[in-house]
Amino acid sequence: MRDPRPIAGLALIAAFVAVAVLAPVLAPHSPLASSVAMIDPPSARHWLGTDELGRDVLSRVIYGARTSLVIGFGAACCAMLIGVPVGLMAGFFRGRVDMLAVPLIDLFIALPGLVLALIITVMVGPSLANLVMVLGFVMWPSVARLVRGQTLAVRETLYIEAARAVGGTSAWIIRRHVWPNIRRVVAAQFAIAVSLAIFTSASLSFLGLGIPPPTPDWGGLVRAGFDFLSLNPLMSLGPGAAVTATVMGFYLAGSSVK
Amino acid sequence: MMTMIVRRLLTAIPTVVAITALLFFSVTHILGSPAGMMLGQDASPQAIAALNAKYGFDRPALLQYGAWMAGAARGDLGRSFTTQQSVARAIADCIPVTLELTLWSILLAVTAAVVLNTIPVGKRALTGVTTAANLIGITVPNFMLGISLIFLFSVWLGWLPSTGWAPWSAGVGEHLRRMAMPVLTLSAYYFGVFSIVYRAEYRDVAQRMFIQVARAKGLSEWRVAFKHALPNAILPVITFVGISMGQLTGGAVVTETVFSMPGTGRLFVSAIAGHDFPVMLAVGMLVVAGVIVMNLLADIAYTVANPQIRFE
Repeated sequence: MRDPRPIAGLALIAAFVAVAVLAPVLAPHSPLASSVAMIDPPSARHWLGTDELGRDVLSRVIYGARTSLVIGFGAACCAMLIGVPVGLMAGFFRGRVDMLAVPLIDLFIALPGLVLALIITVMVGPSLANLVMVLGFVMWPSVARLVRGQTLAVRETLYIEAARAVGGTSAWIIRRHVWPNIRRVVAAQFAIAVSLAIFTSASLSFLGLGIPPPTPDWGGLVRAGFDFLSLNPLMSLGPGAAVTATVMGFYLAGSSVK
Repeated sequence: MMTMIVRRLLTAIPTVVAITALLFFSVTHILGSPAGMMLGQDASPQAIAALNAKYGFDRPALLQYGAWMAGAARGDLGRSFTTQQSVARAIADCIPVTLELTLWSILLAVTAAVVLNTIPVGKRALTGVTTAANLIGITVPNFMLGISLIFLFSVWLGWLPSTGWAPWSAGVGEHLRRMAMPVLTLSAYYFGVFSIVYRAEYRDVAQRMFIQVARAKGLSEWRVAFKHALPNAILPVITFVGISMGQLTGGAVVTETVFSMPGTGRLFVSAIAGHDFPVMLAVGMLVVAGVIVMNLLADIAYTVANPQIRFE
């Protein structure tokens, strides 16, 4: 039997991207329009109820997918842009580059990413662009470590030696022989990075340091609904389930690549 | 072995100095200014200059770092910007809460991960359950898990108090009742990570010759699993516990906020929300230094637990 995990992961990702792209079509109300119906329980008109300003929670969750999509992919791209070159250089050239990179990577991996992200975000100010860069910065070391390990393994193979023997330059060998061999693992790590970025950014905004309001953002929605847990549990559990499903989707897709 | 431990402790000192200095200069000079953070973007230049003079933020960076570290060595971490309370005092009050939360969580995560993956009966069903639990532990964010537990056990079933914390002096039962959900929340992620690491190692160990020998001697499956395979498969988990201690402080930040626990994590979050620079800096420095020390301790524990290295 085939492993169902990557398929489940890809299905969750597809649903998430579709919701983000089709948000204006799917959302029953405007995510920003307030009304007098405040903290209404779920009804046929408002499936997840309304928030403290009378805004439709479901529509805000649907639009929140867009924020998560931008942050998730943006931050993962940032992490790749730093981590892949550093990992490739350290793994391929070894020597001084490696001796400098490895302790730095190990140190950053040990530090709690969320605490670092909180400190940096409060200093530079929370905005979409800043969050993308902060999360990318917090995540690059794990990308670099993985790429370095993979590069090290490929570097020792016979075909790299052969490529060197026929006079291939380092740049050519990396492009033609190393990169194609580690591409798959890097792609899987990209999915993991997206999952981690969405996880961390939701935690940040749950703690009050996310995208500034009124932009709908899952972590912020969970936080807002938490105060009304006994009145309308779906107000926080709804957006919470959206974060969980998305994080799970990217994690499943990324972790099933061996 | 003693010389090894002492040497390791000594080599950790430059790392602690370097990383704390990096954090210090980042928040005081590179990422922005303390005055800008505390007073906001619209503060007048006079107000900023006055604050800088009062706290000494206008001095050279190296001097500020030196003064801060010298103060820390004396147990003086400055005063909170918002409450004017001693920062060291505030942190000292919070540390026991966070420490207890983390220790229980690690203990629960390790025990559950090891036991569930070692039990030699009902493997098929057990593997399914642990695989699902691993996935849930790793992908469900702390805040979501915490709120779901509050909804289930407090709002719906009414078994446990929703938030708040009670000291040991309020009674052991009351204390543990209030610790149950936070510990469960914080341990979930680490359970997932430890479980995956341990399971991979356990499967590897189970193939080895000495396990077959143990079985051939007629030992029961339980004895083979817990007495012979477990001690040999647990080593990588020890390393992971060390690495996780650092990450755990991040999880504790969210968990303490969800359950309104008076620990360092919540102190840190309220310092950030209240733009209280001295408190934020002090907690940040402590976490960073603590992570390095924890990693070192895990390294030493690994050496002590591994006879292959111990007897060299």
